[in-house]
Amino acid sequence: MYRRFRGRSLAALLVACTAGASAAAAGPALGVYAATESAAIDTTAATPDDAAADDARTDNTAAGDAAGNSTATADPEQEVTLRICNWEEYIDEGDWGEDEVIDLPEGDIFGENSLIEDFETWYEETYGVKVNVEYSTFGTNEDLYNMLTLGDTYDLVCPSEYMFMKLISEGEVVPLSDHFFDKSDEYNYYVKGVSPYLENIFESHTIDGEPWSRYAAGYMWGVTGIVYNPELMTREEASTWAVLTNPDFNKRVTIKDSVRECYFAAIGALEHDKLTSDAFLQDAAYKEKLEEVFNDTSPEMIARVQDWLQQMKDNVYSFEVDSGKSDMVTGKVAANYQWSGDAVYTMDQADEDDFRLDFAISEEGANIYFDGWVMLKRGINGDAAKQQAAEAFLNFISRPDNAIRNMYYIGYTSFISGGEDPRILDYLDWNYGAEEDEEDTVDYDVAYFFTGDETGSDPDYVLRAPAEQTMRQLGAQYPSTEDIRRTSIMQYFTPEENTAINNMWVNVRCYNIMHLPWWGWCLVAAGVAGVIWLIAGRIRYVRRHRED
Amino acid sequence: MRIQRKNLGIPYVLFLLLFVVAPLAVLFYYAFTNGSGQFTLMNFVGFFSNPNTLGTLVYSFAIAAVTTFVCVLLAYPIAYILATSRIRAKSAVVMIFVLPMWINFSLRITALKEVLTFLEGNLAMHPFLNAVIGMTYDFLPFMILPIYTTISRLDASLLEAAADLGASPREAFLKVTLPLSMPGILSGVSMVFLPAMTNYVVLDMLYNSTYIMGSLIGSYFSAYNWHGGSMIALILLAIICLFTFLQGNTEESGANRGGALL
Repeated sequence: MYRRFRGRSLAALLVACTAGASAAAAGPALGVYAATESAAIDTTAATPDDAAADDARTDNTAAGDAAGNSTATADPEQEVTLRICNWEEYIDEGDWGEDEVIDLPEGDIFGENSLIEDFETWYEETYGVKVNVEYSTFGTNEDLYNMLTLGDTYDLVCPSEYMFMKLISEGEVVPLSDHFFDKSDEYNYYVKGVSPYLENIFESHTIDGEPWSRYAAGYMWGVTGIVYNPELMTREEASTWAVLTNPDFNKRVTIKDSVRECYFAAIGALEHDKLTSDAFLQDAAYKEKLEEVFNDTSPEMIARVQDWLQQMKDNVYSFEVDSGKSDMVTGKVAANYQWSGDAVYTMDQADEDDFRLDFAISEEGANIYFDGWVMLKRGINGDAAKQQAAEAFLNFISRPDNAIRNMYYIGYTSFISGGEDPRILDYLDWNYGAEEDEEDTVDYDVAYFFTGDETGSDPDYVLRAPAEQTMRQLGAQYPSTEDIRRTSIMQYFTPEENTAINNMWVNVRCYNIMHLPWWGWCLVAAGVAGVIWLIAGRIRYVRRHRED
Repeated sequence: MRIQRKNLGIPYVLFLLLFVVAPLAVLFYYAFTNGSGQFTLMNFVGFFSNPNTLGTLVYSFAIAAVTTFVCVLLAYPIAYILATSRIRAKSAVVMIFVLPMWINFSLRITALKEVLTFLEGNLAMHPFLNAVIGMTYDFLPFMILPIYTTISRLDASLLEAAADLGASPREAFLKVTLPLSMPGILSGVSMVFLPAMTNYVVLDMLYNSTYIMGSLIGSYFSAYNWHGGSMIALILLAIICLFTFLQGNTEESGANRGGALL
């Protein structure tokens, strides 16, 4: 569950650091060998049965068309291999304890086997074709991208929005077939169950003129915020990005070791006055303007962000890779920048030790992020059977009971609101609903997620929850209507922006030689002189020996 | 068919080609090209004209130098006492010092983190000190072992001869034991100094947020700038080569001095 930034996994770190030079040398070298390894693992060639029947489709690739066809006639002799690459610990791996049954009115939900195994069984039962899933994981979006560059081939990957945008813009992604969006197919759980709110976002945000939804099927989503210890910090103090530079919490707040997250927080803090002004908040085009502010990558803004981050670096406890959660629980820090899914997990962990942590979404605005599945051209390679299996996998994990299993297991919030199926709402009630006799409860409206109406309210989607939950797991997993209004998507950086922002980041993280005190310069000079003296001595020595 | 002796080397040659020569070639290729594959020296110039990357080099050097110095200071007396003492269970005592090496690295540093938090309070207040403590804790066995081995192999008759010729124990140590144990110290230094320049996990885990060479390389790779990252790796490699070259010098002259004594 160290989702978005499991960072560099320790094993990789150890290799990388024991010999920085040789590890870096081995990195690109891998590409040479990996590139020679052909995509020969592809097993079956598809037999598109009645492609002619689907003449209506014009905008899809051949593979897309073929995959759109009905499934009943698939050849039972065939076996499909599906190579999936997902975040570490980002799917239900089954093996639940017996007391973990989720008893909803519609029936029990229980994770006995991993979802991967369940999918293999379900696919064979439903479509009569054996599917063999090769499942692997990645640690960060950048790792995934580098793995793909080095020649690793996958059919289905699940990066965050900025990375799938990058992959789409580079033409690496196969569009989803029309059949995937056909609500009349009973097995199309994704399109029938996806939250209208998130569907709108995926429809209205485009990359090169095409909506995200054409290529990506959402999996999990969340917002960024601050997990804090209410005994040490007030909610007001935690509800602003300025908490990171607040001198009252000098060396007692941590932030993720991530350029993008830091950049977002910096803009929030720098533009605090503008973002929280009434005029801005009441603006009719508030959402567009908000996204504009948070996606400002002008050189002036990058320079201001650098100054702010330098100041922040001196104030925070650390840029953490995956120690933030445990440091909160052990009380080393008072607050920690978190992705909402990790925040839920952290609060759960703390609850087990009777240690209360809360979650606050910054008043300036928060980053809303999405992890979505995309099919890669290099993996699918025009194979219709494979694409069909890939899309079936997306539908299978979108079936409400499976979405609930994933949410329960990994703590993140699924894209699925269930559509006609009431189980997601029931799960919310099962998880967060107040007991009959409980005092201090509030009516918590999550209509935006289920109806897509961002400001609307709907008595069908009002949850009676303990008041404290609105500041805790519930507020993190399904932010309130007011909080969700202040969320902004962060676009991917173009290669030029990426270079500029990475330079900014290196400037923040590195020790600037100009800050070296005078005695430091003396030591450097002495060191350099010493090395030169040694080199000269060595040369003299070699020469003398040659003369002998 | 008889296996020819020289054919036995083929696996090793293949190994070298695959895992040493080829990666190096790729490293060189990336270091001296830009994004569009053209030859460029900009990666090199960029490193030496940026006060931040240069600062990282200095900072890494400082951490590595202090770590190495502390390691020598701690390791030499231990190794000397162990090697020259008459206790029977010598190897058992050496083992105790080397024991932490057999415990998983991340576990060790996590434990150290808790100990240091207990001692210092807030770890983030002393990032440099913590980095040095962490590195020293991690690398000390690599310093003790070679020094111990060198000293325990010293010919005791040399010291007897020195004493016969009128050297006080102090003089005998400074003029015989210390110079003769230089090879051990040097191999310890090379096993501590260079890894200490790049081992950024220790810094990450002990909340030092300043980059050292290892993390700087990593940051270039996660920004998809393999060219800049390869160049920094290459510069590190050059520094390592330089050190090995210099070490050859002292080692040989050390051996010479030993020879002169005989």
